[in-house]
Amino acid sequence: MAYHSAYGVHGSKHRTRAAPDPPPLFDDTSGGYSSQLGGYPAPGADVAFSVNNLLGDPVANMAMAYGTSIASQGKDIVHKELHRFVSVNKLKYFFAVDTAYVAKKLGLLVFPYTHQNWKMQYSHDVPLPPRKDLNAPDLYIPTMAFITYVLLAGMALGIQQRFSPEVLGLCASTALVWVFMEVLALLLGLYLATVRSELSTFHLLAYSGYKYVGMILSVLTGLLFGSDGYYVALAWTSSALMYFIVRSLRTAASGPDSMGGPAPRQRLQLYLTLGAAAFQPLIIYWLTFHLVR
Amino acid sequence: MSGFDNLNSGFYQTSYSIDEQSQQSYDYGGSGGPYSKQYAGCDYSQQGRFVPPDMMQPQQTYTGQIYQPTQAYPPTTPQPFYGDSFEEEPPLLEELGINFDHIWQKTLTVLHPLRAADGSIMNETDLAGPVVFCLAFGATLLLAGKIQFGYVYGISAIGCLGMFCLLNLMSMTGVSFGCVASVLGYCLLPMILLSSFAVVFSLQGMVGILLTATIIGWCSFSASKIFISALAMDGQQLLVAYPCALLYGVFALISVF
Repeated sequence: MAYHSAYGVHGSKHRTRAAPDPPPLFDDTSGGYSSQLGGYPAPGADVAFSVNNLLGDPVANMAMAYGTSIASQGKDIVHKELHRFVSVNKLKYFFAVDTAYVAKKLGLLVFPYTHQNWKMQYSHDVPLPPRKDLNAPDLYIPTMAFITYVLLAGMALGIQQRFSPEVLGLCASTALVWVFMEVLALLLGLYLATVRSELSTFHLLAYSGYKYVGMILSVLTGLLFGSDGYYVALAWTSSALMYFIVRSLRTAASGPDSMGGPAPRQRLQLYLTLGAAAFQPLIIYWLTFHLVR
Repeated sequence: MSGFDNLNSGFYQTSYSIDEQSQQSYDYGGSGGPYSKQYAGCDYSQQGRFVPPDMMQPQQTYTGQIYQPTQAYPPTTPQPFYGDSFEEEPPLLEELGINFDHIWQKTLTVLHPLRAADGSIMNETDLAGPVVFCLAFGATLLLAGKIQFGYVYGISAIGCLGMFCLLNLMSMTGVSFGCVASVLGYCLLPMILLSSFAVVFSLQGMVGILLTATIIGWCSFSASKIFISALAMDGQQLLVAYPCALLYGVFALISVF
């Protein structure tokens, strides 16, 4: 019986070995292969995607932030520099003109003798803009007159067969230097005379620029009627301009509080104003005589 | 007794499934209780050990099933993207920002002084037309025997800069430099007609002066019309037209003399 049971045990051994072994081996190997196949490319793809995202987003964000900061810094620097040198609002005040003001102002420059009220009007201690006050100075007419003078000089020299594009630059530079010197001289005179007034550099620039209107009229008359017409126009525009500048500068120099200031200072102001006005015809003649022959 | 011991050692050495069958045989035989108890404990441990492979198999198969589609996705996704982007690519002219219909409409607006300016088209800043007109102007001057390309470019740049400053100072709303350059460049077209006349005729007589004045007025009126409509500067068209006339006057000066 023991031998029989031993044989039975051996038979059961063989059967049990055959029965459970193949399935786990097959499953294990297939699972391992699938895991490997799935593992190798999937992590690689994930890594690639993450690398792409990392490279794209941070670099783009960094570039945008850097560009934005540079642009804002540039804007700030330009704004500071601009405000340090020139106040745009002040310039806008001098360019706040309309057609009616320009027409009336040009008429005043040509014939100023009938104008009665030369005081600048104020609204709550702030001067009114040119479009609302005929006596307020502007920079539109001087600028346009300056460029028109340069253009007219080119045309006159062209008629005399002496035109070249360099001539335009030369005329513009010469006239610009004269304007610069005149404004500096006026500033120096005001400083020496210790005149406290509402006049700023832009005011002086405007008043010294109005003579270009006279220059234009003189040159045009000279081109049309010859040298005699030129001298007649020169005399007329010079006297009109002198009258205009004396009245304007005198009223502007006195300012809102006209009662202030002792007599000697007022006399000094008058001499300064007369000197500035007398200097205008010399500049007009110097800048225009060579254009008319 | 020795035979029983050998049988026990054989049971331990062999696999547990064999133990299960042997236990069944013992139950049938009805042999000792403690032996059957020991085998029952072995049965529990055997069941516990068999469970992991069964549990492991479905996990592995699931991971395999999940991974295979992911394998398929990466190679297929880029191709449709490239195809879609290539098919939906905008035209080259649109990418470059050149719109010939708008250029033509702007040209007609410039050539026809009384035609109302369309704000939407005029506010669009393109510099293709101005560059072409500038080159054409220089070319016609070249035909007249004057090599003035440098001066044309320089005066254009200075003129655009001056107009940009002036318009920003005079208007409440700002204006971009590109818009100013575009408008002034488009309005240079009648000046090309003047320089073309200068190739054939001499413009230094009275007729030439009248023709020059007419064309300068034409250019400046068109430019001021566009600027007025773009900047909403009421009652200031003459004030805007005059600096434009000055700029085109310089170009006319180069053409005539």
